[in-house]
Amino acid sequence: MSWIREGELNLIEKISANVLKAGPMPKHVAFIMDGNRRFARKKNMGRQEGHMQGFNKLAETLRWCKHLNIPEVTVYAFSIENFKRTKDEVDGLMELAKQKFERLLEERDNLEKHGVCIRVLGDLNMLPLDLQQVIAKAVLTTRVHNKYEITNAVREMAWGVEQGLIKASDVSEPLLSECLYSNNSPNPDLLIRTSGEVRLSDFLLWQTSHSCLVFQSVLWPEYSFWNLCEAILQYQLNHKSIQKARDLHREHQASLQLEADRACVAEHLQHHGNGKPLDAQRRQEALLHYTACREERVQDFLESLKHKRDSYFNNLCSEAVLA
Amino acid sequence: MALLHGFLWRLLLVLVHVNRALVSWLRVRLRSLKGRLWERMVAALLLPVALAGFPDHRRKFNRNPGANANSVTGNCAASRRSRCLSDGRSLEKLPVHIGLLVAEEEPSYTDISNLVVWCMAVGISYVSVYDNHGIFRKNNSHLLEEIMRKQQDLLGVDGSKHNVEFLSNGSDKHQHHVVSCRPTVKVLSPDDGKQSIVQAAQQLCRSVENKERSSRDISVTMLDIMLRESKNVPDPELVVKFGPVDSTLGFLPWHIRLTEFISLPSHRNVSYEDLFGALQRYGACQQRLGQ
Repeated sequence: MSWIREGELNLIEKISANVLKAGPMPKHVAFIMDGNRRFARKKNMGRQEGHMQGFNKLAETLRWCKHLNIPEVTVYAFSIENFKRTKDEVDGLMELAKQKFERLLEERDNLEKHGVCIRVLGDLNMLPLDLQQVIAKAVLTTRVHNKYEITNAVREMAWGVEQGLIKASDVSEPLLSECLYSNNSPNPDLLIRTSGEVRLSDFLLWQTSHSCLVFQSVLWPEYSFWNLCEAILQYQLNHKSIQKARDLHREHQASLQLEADRACVAEHLQHHGNGKPLDAQRRQEALLHYTACREERVQDFLESLKHKRDSYFNNLCSEAVLA
Repeated sequence: MALLHGFLWRLLLVLVHVNRALVSWLRVRLRSLKGRLWERMVAALLLPVALAGFPDHRRKFNRNPGANANSVTGNCAASRRSRCLSDGRSLEKLPVHIGLLVAEEEPSYTDISNLVVWCMAVGISYVSVYDNHGIFRKNNSHLLEEIMRKQQDLLGVDGSKHNVEFLSNGSDKHQHHVVSCRPTVKVLSPDDGKQSIVQAAQQLCRSVENKERSSRDISVTMLDIMLRESKNVPDPELVVKFGPVDSTLGFLPWHIRLTEFISLPSHRNVSYEDLFGALQRYGACQQRLGQ
């Protein structure tokens, strides 16, 4: 089945969509598609069939999001805990994923026409090699485990320090965010989890700290347009307070960064100064200079990191071509 | 057309707010009118109308007013304490670590202290208190005084300071060798979330800068240990969120992988039954790892 369904909304759906669009809309929605297995049990079908239905529902949901002008959708694909399932089920899931990604390649033009960009996040190394290669060809990264993602970001920053690109004192929250796999997309505004579970299960823990969380009890394969509208309405009700909290957090971050910069400058001056206390203006100049240098350093480091990741993909692709 | 949609949207929001007000009014009435049958019937009839669009509210209502909870007011301390303990034992499972997330402006110290004391009385070993402005952390001592006072009021002189450990940043180093069979209260702020991860990252990077280790040595376990060392508490199994905001607002992102989130409308004038209702809901849920 296709990654995106054609078709328009019916009249009532269209009107509701227009009413919702009058308010603030999330620019990035994340889904934890939970409930495939329970759905399969409920309808007395095999688990594999349940996962298929789940995938079809995803295609439909992408269509709704497109009609609601939501530019970005992130979906929880595989959890490392999923690897604890029976071998048959895991193999089945991998086969399904491979078919879907191969289909994705075929449909690339169609998706581009609809303006759909599909990004799947995670650590490629956990997946079987042939799946990795298919995914690499579609230029995606697959998500697996959130703590791995954060740890990997820390490792990349340490690599940057080793290479002399940045200093340990440059490490900050925004820099860590930039080093995550998901650095190209903004944090989700809205996170929806279906099937009634009220946990995050290791999904984008870092990125969703200030997202609107909506837990819905419907099973994923039974998700409807109205469920989506309900979730968006919740987002709209929470919009102002979450915005305020985000701004507060950002201000706090900025003041921490400023303090850190000041401390570095003071230390620097102590070491290299000639004992005379500097006046306020000189100190301010030194601070601005230091901040500018730090930002430049960080930019160069991020460039190198991007280059490193792109060449990893290209290597994977060329291996796949040769194979 | 756009104007019409804008108007309809505003109308929709008004309806939702009216709905919420009605729901909370009904909840208060239902709780206080235990004896008056006819009024309860009227309220129950209005309920389906009020709850039509919001299935999650329905769930909350069905578990209220905590039918199994014993009253915690008006009796002598010892019997209150034993009742709380028996309530705790009656649950299928109790969290080892509970987080109280206040997502409201101007937190009330009295209500939070009540909640903390009830949690400890029911048998929960670790209680964390969090608000995203860091107000509790700033007024740490005030909060802890309130808690001690509440403990004495509700549970008698026995349940006093030597039974409880208060942890705040800086005093953690002493706790390593203590066998914690005593309940512990922790006051958290946004700095304990992402910021502590960033600090751990900085520490690791500094050791790499000093050539003490290589970037390849950094692993999840290493980061995990570093983050636990400074907190020394297990991951929270349950977070009860108070307030209308549907977000974690920066609460311990590293530790909430498998945490259940249960929302209550407000922490102001919260009752023991409300808390117990949330604990019952937690007790009934299953953790299905890996879907």
